[in-house]
Amino acid sequence: MIHPVFLLAAEVTEKSGGLFDFDATLPLMAIQFLLLVAILNSTFFQPLLQTIDSRNDYIRTTNNEAKERLAKAQQLALEYERETAETRKLAQEMILTAQAEATKLKAETIAKAMAEAEARIAQAKAELEQQKAQARAQLAGEVSNLSRQILERLVGTV
Amino acid sequence: MMIHLAALEVGKHFYWHIGNLEVHGQVMIVTWIVMAVLVIVSSLATRNLQRIPGGLQNFMEYALEFVQEIAKTGIGEREYRPWLPFVGSFFLFILVSNWLGALIPWKLITLPEGELAAPTSDINTTVALALTVSVLYFWAGISKKGLGYFAKYVQPTPILLPINILEDFTKPLSLSFRLFGNILADELVVGVLVFLVPVFIPLPMMALGLFAGSIQALIFATLAATYIGEALEGHGEEEHGH
Repeated sequence: MIHPVFLLAAEVTEKSGGLFDFDATLPLMAIQFLLLVAILNSTFFQPLLQTIDSRNDYIRTTNNEAKERLAKAQQLALEYERETAETRKLAQEMILTAQAEATKLKAETIAKAMAEAEARIAQAKAELEQQKAQARAQLAGEVSNLSRQILERLVGTV
Repeated sequence: MMIHLAALEVGKHFYWHIGNLEVHGQVMIVTWIVMAVLVIVSSLATRNLQRIPGGLQNFMEYALEFVQEIAKTGIGEREYRPWLPFVGSFFLFILVSNWLGALIPWKLITLPEGELAAPTSDINTTVALALTVSVLYFWAGISKKGLGYFAKYVQPTPILLPINILEDFTKPLSLSFRLFGNILADELVVGVLVFLVPVFIPLPMMALGLFAGSIQALIFATLAATYIGEALEGHGEEEHGH
């Protein structure tokens, strides 16, 4: 089960080390670790930190833009609301004026019509009176005429 | 076969000779595997970086933010950035070492002497890492305050000078022995249990080993960050800051 690579790479001695056997492993490990730090710094820490930083920047700017847009939208909505309210007030006023005018017009027209009707009635009454008087006068003439004829007849025959 | 699998080899090393230096081959082999895993996985994760992360990139970003948090709490929001690769590499290297050591059945690969195990179960590795931490915090302090860094040894009073100097020795000592002891002890416990009862019984211990392995990685990285943070902070600025 001995791996041939290890046999090639190593020369085995019979020296027994013990748990606290310090040797060249120590400085080698330190150097290897510093190498690992250098490699991980360029393959792991810096790229990922840069990515995270640029992402944070992106999120911040996008967030700010969104906030600005939201503020703008809110301002626009307020303006629209104000305009709508103004327009509504204007419309209300116009309706009120129109209604008042219409009422006035109606009243005027009715009054005029009534006055005209009264005038006509009065005229008709006057005409009627005149005709009545005329007819009466005519009748009176006829009555006297007739009564004279009746008298003549009575007197004449007697 | 079972006896052979479960045999314990403590303190035996697979020596390589480089010139007249001796190197623990079994530590080197597993270290290279651990480093290869780290480098390959991180390269794969950052090969095609997206604004909206997915899959491996997402996972590695999570890992990055985890170690970033460790570095931030230890060193502080303003100054952690240059030290992040070190703190993060401590965490990732120790974590992957511990987990690979616990998860891969290394005993199936037989060496002429010694056995493959987590690199962190060798005292050389942990001392190397701990001394790196010492160098880092000295470097941090001196690069920030120049020779004024050494003024902290006589603060708050010169009486504490011996204790302050002693601290520089106890820090790497405790760092290295904590990690070494935990990982080696776990391997020994699992080894002994496997030797006594080969099935099922060692499983909870193995799970505990995984847990302990991640905790040790966290502790090492946190302490490294704290030591660097302490060196950067200093007494004068601390009073100023609070």
